[in-house]
Amino acid sequence: MFNRILDRLEEWIIASFMALATLVIFFAVVHRYSSGIPWVWQYTRHLSTSWTQELCIYLFIWMAKFGAAYGVRTGIHVGVDVLVRNLAPAKQKFFVVLGLASGAFFTATIALLGTKFVHFIYTTGQISPDLEMPMWIVYLAIPLGSSLMCYRFLQVLRHYLKSGELPVHSYGDTESEMGA
Amino acid sequence: MNSLIIFVMLVVLLLTGMPISIALGMSVLTYLYFFSTIPVEIVSQRLFTGLDQFAIMAIPFFILAGAFLTSGGVAARIVNFATTLVGAMRGGLALSAILSCAFFAALSGSSPATVVAIGSIMIPAMVKQGYPKKFGVGVIATSGGLGILIPPSIVMIIYAVSTNTSVGQLFIAGIVPGVLMAFTLMLVTWLVAKKHNYPTLPQASLREIWQAFRDSIWGLLIVVIVIGGIYGGIFTPTEAAAVSAVYAFVVAVFIYGDLKLRDVPRVLLESANMSAMLLYIITNAILFSFLLTSENIPQQLAQWIVDQGLSPWMFLLFVNVLLFFAGDFMEPSSIILILAPIFLPVAMKLGIDPVHLGIVMTINMELGMITPPVGLNLYVASGLARMGLTEVTLAAAPWILVVTAILLLVTYVPQIALWLPHLMYGINP
Repeated sequence: MFNRILDRLEEWIIASFMALATLVIFFAVVHRYSSGIPWVWQYTRHLSTSWTQELCIYLFIWMAKFGAAYGVRTGIHVGVDVLVRNLAPAKQKFFVVLGLASGAFFTATIALLGTKFVHFIYTTGQISPDLEMPMWIVYLAIPLGSSLMCYRFLQVLRHYLKSGELPVHSYGDTESEMGA
Repeated sequence: MNSLIIFVMLVVLLLTGMPISIALGMSVLTYLYFFSTIPVEIVSQRLFTGLDQFAIMAIPFFILAGAFLTSGGVAARIVNFATTLVGAMRGGLALSAILSCAFFAALSGSSPATVVAIGSIMIPAMVKQGYPKKFGVGVIATSGGLGILIPPSIVMIIYAVSTNTSVGQLFIAGIVPGVLMAFTLMLVTWLVAKKHNYPTLPQASLREIWQAFRDSIWGLLIVVIVIGGIYGGIFTPTEAAAVSAVYAFVVAVFIYGDLKLRDVPRVLLESANMSAMLLYIITNAILFSFLLTSENIPQQLAQWIVDQGLSPWMFLLFVNVLLFFAGDFMEPSSIILILAPIFLPVAMKLGIDPVHLGIVMTINMELGMITPPVGLNLYVASGLARMGLTEVTLAAAPWILVVTAILLLVTYVPQIALWLPHLMYGINP
């Protein structure tokens, strides 16, 4: 149940942030060129759009951190597996476990360092230049995203130890055909 | 000494098969912890500020635009148009496939996406018309590589970000080599088709050509948005990418109507997945190159190479060969992210234009995508054609020679890449 909610939340965040960032930049461009059309400009010139780039970057950073966690679940983070693939199954298993464990270790470390960093930023009371948003909220993407990613690595690791299966990502809509 | 530790660590971690991003991150952490005086805390900050650049954000936008185009029936209309143009020549369908890949490459910034979009239509069509399957698959896997050479190109954006080069200039510089590559592929295909007497299609009338052009114009207009927009100073590359994503959405859903609104969340999620993976590698690679820079390694390497008395052409040959092998094991973005910041200082010292180096690296990556064992295009094409990877590899083998020839030509005749950007941006070399 908890996992189901987490899965949906993760998917919802990354898909909607993607859409939102696109619309924000599109809006900024349209706004800039509406200055050429007097009857539109009289309504739009009061709007300031200097915040759009910043918002777009923040949205994408959040999307990237949570999307990276989603990517662990879909198996999109690939490595150089040429050597490992030619090993005996037992050794192969060792390297797969090592890879997943390193992933969990790295993301856990980042989550920890990120938490310390967010706490530090919180004490400075720093705000973002255009949106004037508290920076600690923005930086929260690192500990939250990394923790989630760590959780996903552990999840995949557990599933692999139990069933010997890894999630495999393939390109485009040909997914079903690729396995054949 | 330090540089040796970092690189050996990275290579060992990479060879264990762990995700590239994790291998990069782990080498940085280990190095900082054991060998350096830089505080480890800097890592978490860098993971954020590394992405804090508007130019990088063009990548998710172009991926999204590409996803809408691939799933939105744009490809089929482009194939129709290309077929009316060159279908009547000997080997017409294969020539149309290459031309379609070139057109689609001008809308999308990714090679595998181009292979999927055009290959899923053209491979079955060619087989049905009696072409050997091997031939069709080789043509598609190779010409899909045009996706990263003809602008827009995700690989070029990554190069621009990691070397501080202008995305606009790189895009413009890709046009002539891209057209040259497409033309050469078509020429070779035509010669092969003549020899084996491959089938032709009936000549399309001017009316039919016009009709097919009008059908595909909505998709093709993205070229105008991207190239015209960036060059004309109307948009920054990132804005052009966002506008083309919105435009591709409108075309796919409302104009062509091949994509249902309820499928849009799936397209968004799939693009976000791909983008996040790339952005995650980018952050960790930026972390890695930050470490290299703060240890002064690229400069030392550059000095060392210059001290060896290497001439520019020898350096470029070294780049070609190293990238050829790297391209056999890793996918393009990671290679560019790791190696471009190291190559650039050397290139600068030897008087090689960064834009030229970028184009050379891009074509090198194209070559990597059709050479085993990690040829992304081969992998995708084998899925489309339901052929084994080994068979597809053999099918693409003759084409490797063609791409290598173009690579060498563009490497040693810099004007092919630099002429157009110099002309358009008014730079006197």
